[in-house]
Amino acid sequence: MGNKVLTVCPYCGSGCQMHLLVEDGKVVGAEPADGRTNEGNLCLKGHYGWDFLNDPQILTARLRKPMIRKEGVLREVSWEEAIQFTAEKLTAIKEKYGPDAIMGTGSARGPGNEANYVMQKFMRAVIGTNNIDHCARVCHGPSVAGLTYSLGDGAMSNSIPEIEDTDLLFIFGYNAAVTHPIVARRIVRAKQKGATIIVSDPRKTESARIADTWLPLKGGTNMALVNAFGHVLIEEDLFDKEYTANYVEGFEEYKASVKKYTPEYAESITGVKANDIRKVMRQYAKSNKAMILYGMGVCQFAQAVDVVKGLASLALLTGHFGRSGVGIGPVRGQNNVQGSCDMGALPNVYPGYQSVTDPKIRKKFEKAWGVTLPEKTGYHLTEIPHLVLKEDKVKAYYIFGEDPVQSDPNAAEVRETLEKMEFVIVQDIFMNKTALHADVVLPATSWGEHEGVYSSADRGFQRIRKAIDPPGEVKPDWQIISEVATAMGYPMSYRNTEEIWDEMRALCPKFSGASYKKMEEQGGVQWPCPSEDHPGTPYLYEGNRFSTLNGKGRLFACEWRAPLEQPDQEYPLTLSTVREVGHYSVRTMTGNCRALSQLSDEPGNIQISPGDASSLGIEDGHLVSIISRRGKIVARAQISDRVKTGATYMTYHFWIGACNELTGDALDPVSKTPEYKYCAIRLEKIPDQLRAEQQVRQQYESLRKQMHVGAGQA
Amino acid sequence: MKKERPNSFVIAEAGKCIGCKACELACFTVHNQDNGVAASVGTVTIPVLPRLYVIQTDSFTMPLQCRHCENAPCAGVCPVQAIRQEDGAILIDEDRCIGCKACAVACPFGAVSLYKSYGNGQEMKQPYLKEQQNGRLERKARVIAYKCDLCRNIESGGNSASGEMVSAGAVNHYGSLTENGGEPFPACVSVCPEQALTLVSPSLGESRPRTAAGLGSLRSLRL
Repeated sequence: MGNKVLTVCPYCGSGCQMHLLVEDGKVVGAEPADGRTNEGNLCLKGHYGWDFLNDPQILTARLRKPMIRKEGVLREVSWEEAIQFTAEKLTAIKEKYGPDAIMGTGSARGPGNEANYVMQKFMRAVIGTNNIDHCARVCHGPSVAGLTYSLGDGAMSNSIPEIEDTDLLFIFGYNAAVTHPIVARRIVRAKQKGATIIVSDPRKTESARIADTWLPLKGGTNMALVNAFGHVLIEEDLFDKEYTANYVEGFEEYKASVKKYTPEYAESITGVKANDIRKVMRQYAKSNKAMILYGMGVCQFAQAVDVVKGLASLALLTGHFGRSGVGIGPVRGQNNVQGSCDMGALPNVYPGYQSVTDPKIRKKFEKAWGVTLPEKTGYHLTEIPHLVLKEDKVKAYYIFGEDPVQSDPNAAEVRETLEKMEFVIVQDIFMNKTALHADVVLPATSWGEHEGVYSSADRGFQRIRKAIDPPGEVKPDWQIISEVATAMGYPMSYRNTEEIWDEMRALCPKFSGASYKKMEEQGGVQWPCPSEDHPGTPYLYEGNRFSTLNGKGRLFACEWRAPLEQPDQEYPLTLSTVREVGHYSVRTMTGNCRALSQLSDEPGNIQISPGDASSLGIEDGHLVSIISRRGKIVARAQISDRVKTGATYMTYHFWIGACNELTGDALDPVSKTPEYKYCAIRLEKIPDQLRAEQQVRQQYESLRKQMHVGAGQA
Repeated sequence: MKKERPNSFVIAEAGKCIGCKACELACFTVHNQDNGVAASVGTVTIPVLPRLYVIQTDSFTMPLQCRHCENAPCAGVCPVQAIRQEDGAILIDEDRCIGCKACAVACPFGAVSLYKSYGNGQEMKQPYLKEQQNGRLERKARVIAYKCDLCRNIESGGNSASGEMVSAGAVNHYGSLTENGGEPFPACVSVCPEQALTLVSPSLGESRPRTAAGLGSLRSLRL
């Protein structure tokens, strides 16, 4: 028999611990381990999602050697040539246009915290810019911005295991069954233990199905509903006066802002019955322990930060903080999106959420890194298309472990942006859509092939471990970045990830006690962990002292704004992008797992209501054309009783039915997060289904060829 | 010793199921180890053929599978006696099955499906029957009835989700081996992250609560 390696699952932010079963240098299976959050359970991605390590080449091929584009074609080159070429090009662009003409990304996925630390250090200390951001921007960016404003920390205030021990769960725009099955388990258990479940979601999700009250609001009306909740708390005198007086500020302004949002007024906007709004707020306020969980249904709107602050305000008004089983939980989507935020892969903060505009903090990092650091906040990831196409300001893009052509809105615009840039670096484990526009491709090790630390959604640092040797000539991400830095005249030489981690925690008061040793001994460490003798922090704000400047929680409300693109005669339906349980993100990983890809494969689905299907003459399982102002794609119709007339839903994992060809680029004004949850489309029936099926097959084949499937050795 | 109790069956609790299909994949994986699933090389060329199905309607979500009826109507209609009662379960002899669909029609739960038969990652062909394909006569694929076998047809019994052979007791969440009369835990029960599936091994006349639990679950189906 082979050996078992304890590690953390690379899918979603639940932070499930698992064993990889290794035989003859190959991963042959996975078993759940008794982790803090998963307690011996895994979902189907955990059980079957390791197979991509064997490179079965279903969707894409594993990158094995560095490549440089020569005469329009990516050609394999030596590492020396690739590093030298990359360093020279970046240096030339920096000299010609200045450091702010270069943008870099962190990676919220496999690489881990150490690689993200090294990447942001590279951008800041070597390039000399704060232009570093990552996919949190298109995801929980509003949570980081909103909760930092309201509470001081952009993270879950409480822990995943506490979910099952609350008295009332208020789930807002969050479909745990699909995004975090192991968190959904806690919701199911809370229900069994007698908790009241309230779900606010336009779709009847699995949580809505088992909820005591389901508030089926109209998409794009979150702020109106949240304001009405606040209105009821004040009007019915349900808020905790003592708590509000002692620990919270901004009450009078808040009261004035929500005044006009009577439940009846909110009903006219949201469609949620006024009585239900009153009922759930009475329950929420009177519960001893109540917890809010929310997800992309809050964050992926052009009015997102406001809603995050509004939800935090409800918990502040009712005193649901500073204890076990209460608080507010933005449940982070990707396995290490909390970690890449923790590591400062953001344009406004260094690692540990320390502001780049604070001179004292900047000085600390300048001293540690031995350079002068830039003073101004960097660009946001989602502003890049505009900055390139309209303002001509960004010339080079170092894309590390992301696939923006697949994941970012308005894919056509993203492609145009990449084509216009002078220099694009893609560092990844698989060939992907973005790499088609790269000038250099740097192949990295995958989860399972390297050491490191991930941060789970509830601030839990946990060790990931190497189980197998990587294929080809790939190198760990931190090593590749270090080599580019060294070639650019800033020597970086780390011996291992622990050395990087120790450098990082010496600079971050919130993380300074979270050593590898402690993670080893405890199984993990939840931040804040300020000293070596501190065990970590399961829930924040003990004693109701918030992490804001004056220690008080800040209330916030403002006017509701409708989503930007409204349905009209030409585009009569709304589209919201969602996820499905068996796939993950841009699907390079799960799409290359044999069992998972068989369960659900290209071209992906569009969920529509029975009413819309019958009026368009569309049958379940038929291919349909989906058209927006930005693009046209084909996907399979999935008729569902749980979808309201006028609304449609597509999962963003698929490459043929790529919903981001359709989505718009409206952004939240603060967090710059796109409005993935709302754009206008129209559906068209395809009369010749046989031909359409054939075209999908051909398209899949040509995609796979582009992705180098079959080109290298398997 | 002669069997003194009714057949076991697996039942799901709709209040716990989140529709994730981990059970479908676990079922497929353990039943297709000779088709390259859960091996470390090669690509699975066969479609996912689970023996239970997650169904989702407006009001409930849960997997549905064979109830191992005591007076199995599927066995009663099988013209070639391919369906038999064996060791507390209703099993289909896949070699004997002629794909006549009678069992699928007779099953009140919709728990029997007909699919192509696979071996060594390849479609099994019929010895004689041919059909026109791509302009020429080719041997027709063999189609057989599939349904839950309580993982009885899996060699070495106990199983885990990944196909790794371990003792059932190590991975199950419910009861123990002795409580279930030494039956291996089906893969779907072991893998479910919500513990929504239970292997019910009722005893005639003895264990009222357990039978009642099974019947209660049956009612939740609203069939």
